[in-house]
Amino acid sequence: MTTAPTHASQPPVEGSASAEVTAIDSTARGPLLLLVGAAVKWLVIGSVLALITSIQLFKPAFLADCSWFTHGRAEAMRETIFIYGWAANAGLAIALWVLARLGGSPLRAGNWIGAGAIFWNLGLLVGLIGIATGDATSISFLQLPRYVQPFMLFAYGAIAIAGVLAWTGRRHDQTFASHWYAVAALFLFPWIFSVAQVMLLWAPVRGTLQAVVAGWYVQGAWTLWLAPLALSGAYYLVPKITGRVIPSYVFWTSLSFWTLVFVGAWTGGRHLVGGPVPAWIPTFAIGSCSLLLFHYFMVLLNLRHAFRGGSVALNFIAFGLVAYVAGGAADAVTSLRFVAKVTQFTHFIEAQQQLALYGGVSMMFFGAIYFLVPRVAGRVWASGALVRGHFFLTAVGVLLLVAALAKAGLTQGHGLNTASVSFAQIAADTRTSLLIATAAQGILLLGNLIFAFNFFHTACSFSPSKSGVPVTDLLRQPSTMEAPAS
Amino acid sequence: MSSPLDNDPRLDQAAATDESLLAAHEKLLGRQPDEKANYSLMPLALLFVFSGLIFWAGTYLNRYAGSFDPTVFNENAHSKKGQVVAAPAADPMVVGAAAYTSACVACHLPTGVGQPGAIPPLAGSEWVTGSEERLVRIVLYGLKGPIKVKGADYNSAMPAFGKVAGSGYNWSDEKVAAVLTYIRQSFGNTAAPVTKEQVAAIHAKDGSHPEMTQEELLKLP
Amino acid sequence: MKNGPLFFLGLFIALVLSWGVVMEANHQLGSLAPYLDENEGRAYPDRASGLAARGQFVYADLGCAACHTQQVRRPDFGSDQARGWGDRQSFARDYIHQTRVLLGESRVGPDLANLATRKPPYDAEDLLKLLYTGSAQHPAYKFLFHERATGTVQSSQNALKLGSGAVVPAGREIVPTERAQSLVAYLLSLNNSYAYPAETATNTVAPAKEGAHNAAAPAADAAGKSAPAHPAHSK
Repeated sequence: MTTAPTHASQPPVEGSASAEVTAIDSTARGPLLLLVGAAVKWLVIGSVLALITSIQLFKPAFLADCSWFTHGRAEAMRETIFIYGWAANAGLAIALWVLARLGGSPLRAGNWIGAGAIFWNLGLLVGLIGIATGDATSISFLQLPRYVQPFMLFAYGAIAIAGVLAWTGRRHDQTFASHWYAVAALFLFPWIFSVAQVMLLWAPVRGTLQAVVAGWYVQGAWTLWLAPLALSGAYYLVPKITGRVIPSYVFWTSLSFWTLVFVGAWTGGRHLVGGPVPAWIPTFAIGSCSLLLFHYFMVLLNLRHAFRGGSVALNFIAFGLVAYVAGGAADAVTSLRFVAKVTQFTHFIEAQQQLALYGGVSMMFFGAIYFLVPRVAGRVWASGALVRGHFFLTAVGVLLLVAALAKAGLTQGHGLNTASVSFAQIAADTRTSLLIATAAQGILLLGNLIFAFNFFHTACSFSPSKSGVPVTDLLRQPSTMEAPAS
Repeated sequence: MSSPLDNDPRLDQAAATDESLLAAHEKLLGRQPDEKANYSLMPLALLFVFSGLIFWAGTYLNRYAGSFDPTVFNENAHSKKGQVVAAPAADPMVVGAAAYTSACVACHLPTGVGQPGAIPPLAGSEWVTGSEERLVRIVLYGLKGPIKVKGADYNSAMPAFGKVAGSGYNWSDEKVAAVLTYIRQSFGNTAAPVTKEQVAAIHAKDGSHPEMTQEELLKLP
Repeated sequence: MKNGPLFFLGLFIALVLSWGVVMEANHQLGSLAPYLDENEGRAYPDRASGLAARGQFVYADLGCAACHTQQVRRPDFGSDQARGWGDRQSFARDYIHQTRVLLGESRVGPDLANLATRKPPYDAEDLLKLLYTGSAQHPAYKFLFHERATGTVQSSQNALKLGSGAVVPAGREIVPTERAQSLVAYLLSLNNSYAYPAETATNTVAPAKEGAHNAAAPAADAAGKSAPAHPAHSK
């Protein structure tokens, strides 16, 4: 766990072109720190709301008299902040940085990124106030009021432009798995976002077709946007930190990528099983969910060197990898009819989503952020103890949250399936598990507060040499990666 | 110059440069697996897994998709072909009663007694319980001029109710049959129901026809 | 994958294929029409009254769908019908008049698809009281009500009769706002119990010879009946 990098004994490669921190990182400082700062801020606010909604599940009277925090609205706000606040900002920062680094030229259109980031987050703030005051659309994952969504679409476009320019203007001709994932995320999100807006909000389709389109959008946002953003960071950092090429890279990484992109959005209808849509729609989605297992399996095979540890980023990525794969496997299993009979409409689905989104994608984001911030900001993290603390608290919190919600969900599911069990009885039976889940949310909030404090302490120091030595002096010169002999 | 920070959570060290990372992976891709000796068991196993998943998904789809029929919401129902329950039929007494109440009571009155001198009664009327050829045509095409019912004379104008030119009602043959069945089994009448096939046959034979008169009706069997 | 344009083409094809599923669903469901019942001379599903239609937006913006679903599942999938939530599974045609379809994804509380047909039936007063006082499992929505003094003004005929003065201080009354009344009107309009012939025909599990499917037999009867308010069809 504490081995030094394997090539430490070789002499460092000469030349500034191979330096670890270059002009790419320093020009990207402003926009990327803005994005990461916004992401961290939203993460903390989202964690507070998660704690509130968790309490409301076993104590409905909590904040019920305040119309802004009635459970339905608080839940909508929490979900929106996690997706469009935390995950969007963090994921975009990581994808842009990876694209710039792998492209070999500085991030262009930095002003566009900055403007886009400001407007995206401003739109989000206006949208959240809209949700709190009663303009939520009541569509899961797309709760932002109608009037704010096109605005955010354009803001996203401004940020994505930089990514596209980093791709088209790349100096190195080769492309790599991180490229594919990052570009796919940047390119596909505006399409699904705009189509969902039109078909659900501006020219709503009829009847339960809305549920089908909403399911398609949710799965698209997950498999075509958030998961690729996380994987682009993971696929870059694992070989970079360990110094080893990705195993089973030839053909299989590509197949895994295309499986995700093709099959991912087909899985949207699985939560409609048994519902008022023709049976083939959820069936098709359930079959696709099983097919998607291949992608998860392949990602685990590719990134298994993350388990070597020895670095903060790899620890987070390893945890995130396991959670991502476990979340995908849980998704495939709970989508099957004989399991969905018990888990549909219960907290178990929430557990699976938290596992995938928080445990999987967010942890991979944390790892990438811990790696990129020192290089971009030019300073090491202010406190190592807080970094370890954040990892510990988040890991414990996620495990506890997922286990508690899963247990509550199974109890709730069995209770719902027995007609004689009243809802009061179900509430009493799940109360302990929900209390534990709330405690877990508290732990996660504490971890995020630590992270936020550490980040702002690091990034906002006004004296450039506050922590003593500039980061370039503390970095080991990386050496050349060798492709293994056949 | 400080020494590099190793094993410190405040800074992660990288082991490879970006260029070498790209180059190494590119080299892997460039090396095509056309050397037969280099196929290892692993890639075949992965292909097997992938194909197995496709097969499973396809089988699942076949079993539960209800043949992609848009009206199949319960995939278990559809799989039992040939045992499908037929849709419940419209009850002519119910349809007829509703139609009578909406269109006929104004003249023939709810009790079917009509109005002396003007509107003939339906209760106990020989026209109602008698020949279908005459009765159907009265409702389909309407009636004008005097008519003798149960020995008394009546004279008024009855509009056309069927789907004919100039009709303000345009009732389907099925609805006409339902109303006639209703009046034949109400107000003390007991006669056989009128089927929609009978109405349709008469409608097809005569097509569009102006209002009937008593003379024309009496010529019919 | 060096070929940039080919890569984008691949991404686009992937997107189009996924959207193809939605388009096929649109082809099947997009033009579902109401069903005209010849016997009764009216079309189903019912359109909501104006107050109920506004109530649907109140339901949506308060986020009631976070805890309540509005879909009854088929008989051997959960206990939806045994709990009295509906006589039959919900069909797509039930939702064609709804501006915002609120199927819901979580059942912290009961399903509401056929709230108007519950036995014993709810009335507006019950629901308004639940919204005002809440319960051990249900939050209170006091902000949907006015609390007014009754000293010098006439008492409102809509004031809630909440029993003894323990909840309401003396000399004051609780009057529902228009939002509360429209929400309750919406909830009491929820009735998806009409038996559409086409869907009933393809979704009733006929009693089979094997014993294993006997559980489905009562469902066949239940699905063939229409709602109690309608006259019985000949069977």
